[in-house]
Amino acid sequence: MSGIRAHPVAVFLAFFAVFPFLVPYKALATQVLIYGLFALGFNLLYGYTGLLSFGHAAYFGLGAYGAGIALAKLGVPSVWGGVAVGLALASAGGAVIGFLCLRRRGIYFAMLTLAFAQLLYFIGFHLADLTGGDDGLRGIPLLPVRLPGVEISLDTPVAFYYFTFALVALAVAALKRILDSPFGAVLGAIRENSDRAAACGYDITRIKLLSFVFSSAFAGLAGALEALRLTVVPIESLYWTTSGQVVMMTLLGGAGTFFGPFVGAATFLVLEDRLSIVTESWPLVIGLIFMAFVLFLPKGIWGTLSGGLYGR
Amino acid sequence: MNRRSFLTTAAGAATLAFPTVLRAQSKEPIRVGFPLPLTGPFAALANDLQRGATLAAEELNARGGVLGRRLEVLFRDDQLKPAVGAQRTKELIENEQVQFIVGGLAAHVQMAINEQTKKSKVLFISVSQSDEISAKPDTSPLTFHEALNPTITCRAVGGWAAQNLGKKWWIVYADYAWGKQCNAVLTDVLKRHGGTLLGSTPYPLGNAEFVAHLPKIRAAKPDVLMSATPGADNVAFLKQVISFGMKKEMRVAQPLLWLPTVKEGGPDVYADVYGGINFYWEVEDTIPQAKRYVAAFRKRFNMPPGDYGCYGYSGIRELARGIELAKSTDSDAVAKALRANPVYDHYKGKQWWRACDDKSFQDLWIVRGREPGKLLGEWGLLDVVSRIPANEELDRTCVEKGLA
Repeated sequence: MSGIRAHPVAVFLAFFAVFPFLVPYKALATQVLIYGLFALGFNLLYGYTGLLSFGHAAYFGLGAYGAGIALAKLGVPSVWGGVAVGLALASAGGAVIGFLCLRRRGIYFAMLTLAFAQLLYFIGFHLADLTGGDDGLRGIPLLPVRLPGVEISLDTPVAFYYFTFALVALAVAALKRILDSPFGAVLGAIRENSDRAAACGYDITRIKLLSFVFSSAFAGLAGALEALRLTVVPIESLYWTTSGQVVMMTLLGGAGTFFGPFVGAATFLVLEDRLSIVTESWPLVIGLIFMAFVLFLPKGIWGTLSGGLYGR
Repeated sequence: MNRRSFLTTAAGAATLAFPTVLRAQSKEPIRVGFPLPLTGPFAALANDLQRGATLAAEELNARGGVLGRRLEVLFRDDQLKPAVGAQRTKELIENEQVQFIVGGLAAHVQMAINEQTKKSKVLFISVSQSDEISAKPDTSPLTFHEALNPTITCRAVGGWAAQNLGKKWWIVYADYAWGKQCNAVLTDVLKRHGGTLLGSTPYPLGNAEFVAHLPKIRAAKPDVLMSATPGADNVAFLKQVISFGMKKEMRVAQPLLWLPTVKEGGPDVYADVYGGINFYWEVEDTIPQAKRYVAAFRKRFNMPPGDYGCYGYSGIRELARGIELAKSTDSDAVAKALRANPVYDHYKGKQWWRACDDKSFQDLWIVRGREPGKLLGEWGLLDVVSRIPANEELDRTCVEKGLA
C-alpha cells in the first residue's frame, strides 16, 4: 500500500491504461472514468474540505450543456473548444453558486446547493430552444481531436476511451497537485475544525470558495466528456438524482480517499450494468451493499482496503 | 475459457446431442437489441411491448428462423432515462454485437438511442410516439418509425371529435414535449374545423392536481374537455373531473387511451371517455390478420394484446421481413429493401413506409370506455366507435419535417 500512497498518479495511469480490457466493453470503462472524475470533484469538496453539496448535478449538467450547446448549436469547430466552454461554464456556475451557498453551513448549505441545482434543472427544462428541454439536447457532432501535427478520430470506443483517459489523468494529476500544496493542507484543517483554521489566520470563506470552484470544474469536465460520449445531453443531467448518484458513488468507494471515487464509480456502474441484465431489482442489491458499507464500513471500499490511512 | 466460448462449446455439444431439433438453428443467430423501460412509471406498457416482441421472435423461430438463422431478441431495461437508454444501446452494439435495435418507449429515450444507432450505423426501428424521430435533424436513413406520432394522433382524434362531439373545447395538457405538441396540434385542428377554443390549461407532468382549475373550466361550459394527461395523471384527472360532476355535462376525449391504464382505472373512471388507440383487440371480429394475431397472443400469454405490445410485435416482424427481402443482415441493405417494398401487414391491416421519412402509416381507432356491467370479460373495456384509415395527410409533410 505504501507504493500506492507515494505515487497515486502513476498507479492511476498504470491501472486505467489496461482497465478497458478488464471490463466487458469499452463504453463501460469510459463511463467509469467519467463518473469517477465527477465523484473526484465531489470528493474534493466533501471528503477533503468537509462540505456536503447535494447539488453537484448542477456543475456536471453545466459542463455537459456547455460543451453540447457550443458544439451542436453554436458550431464551435473543435472538441477542445467544446470542452473548454463546458469547463468554463461549470466553473463560473460554481463560483456564483458557491459564493451564495457558503454564507451558510451544514444542512442549510446542503439545502441551498440542492435548491440551486433544481433551479438550473427547471431553467434547462424551459429553455427548450437552447437545451432541447425534456427531449434532451441532440445533434452533438463527435469531431476528431486535433493536436499539433495529428488528427485522431474518436469514432471507435477504444479511441474515445483513451481520449477520456488522457483528460481524466490530467485532472487526477491536478488534484494531486492541489492536495499536496499548502492550500490542500488548509482544506484538511477546515474539514477538521474550521473555527481553529480561521483562528490560525486563514481566510476560510475564500479557501472554501476556491475548493468549491475546483470541485465544480472537475464535475464540469466530467459533464463535458459525458456529452461527447453519448452525443446527447439528457435533462436528467441536472436533476437531483444525478447529485444523489455521485454522493452514493463517493461514499461507497470511500470519501476523503484519493482513489475512493473511482472505486465507487466502478463498483456502482459495473454492478448496475451486469445486474440489470439479470434482474429488474438491481437497485435493491446495490442499495443493500451501500447500506452495509455505510453501517459497518463507513470508510468505503477503498478506505477500508487501504486501512483508512488517508482519510477519516 | 470465457463466457462466449463456453456458450459456443455448450451450444455445439447440444447440437451434437440433439441433431434434428437444432439443425436449423446451428448457424450464428441474428441478434436484435431491445431497450425498453421495464422499471419506472411506464413498466406496464413496457411489459406489453416485451410480450409483443417475444411473440414475434418465437413465431419466426418456430417457422425456421430468419434466413435459416435463429432470431434472438435481447431486452434491456432503460429505466425510462435517456442516458441509460444510450448506455444500454452502446452495450448491446459493442458487447453483444447486435445487428439491429428495435425498441424505446418515450420520445426522449428513443432519441438518445437513435444517436447511438446513427453513430454505429445500425438500423433502428422505433416503436413509440415521437414527432422528432422521423424529422430533421434526428432522423437518418437507418431510422424507421413504426408507431403513431403526436401529430397523427391529435389530428385524427381532434378532427373526429370536432365533427362528432362538439366544437367548443377546453384542453388540459401535461407541460412537457408530448403534451405541448398535442395542445398545439389540437388547437390547430379545432381552428380548421371552425371550432372555438374556450381555454387551455397546462399542468406540471406528474403533479395531477386539477381542483383549482376545474370550476373555471366547468363555468365555461365546453362541449368537449380534451385531456392530454398521460399515465397515472390520466386516472387522477378523470377522477377529479367525475367528482365535479363534469362528465355528465360535457364529453371527455383524449388523444390516446392506453389499455393497461384503462384496466387500472376501471370502468367507473373510463366509462364514456373517448380516445384514440393504435389497436384494440376486439377489432379481431372484422380483420382476419388481427384475429390470427390476437389468438396467438392469447394462447401464449393468456391475455389479449394491449396497444404497445402491437408495436413491439410489428417492429420485430417488420425487421425480419426486411432481412429476408434483403437476404442480408446489413443495415443499409435491410433499410433499402424496406423502402423498396414499403407495404406490410403484420397484425391489423395494411401499413406502409413513406419513402421520404421512413415513417409507418397505419389505421387507428376511436374507442370509448364501456360502462360498468357492460364489460366483455377482464379486458373487454372499450367500444370501438370509429376507424380512421391510414392517411399520409395526417402527418406533417416531408418538407415540413425538413426532409425532401
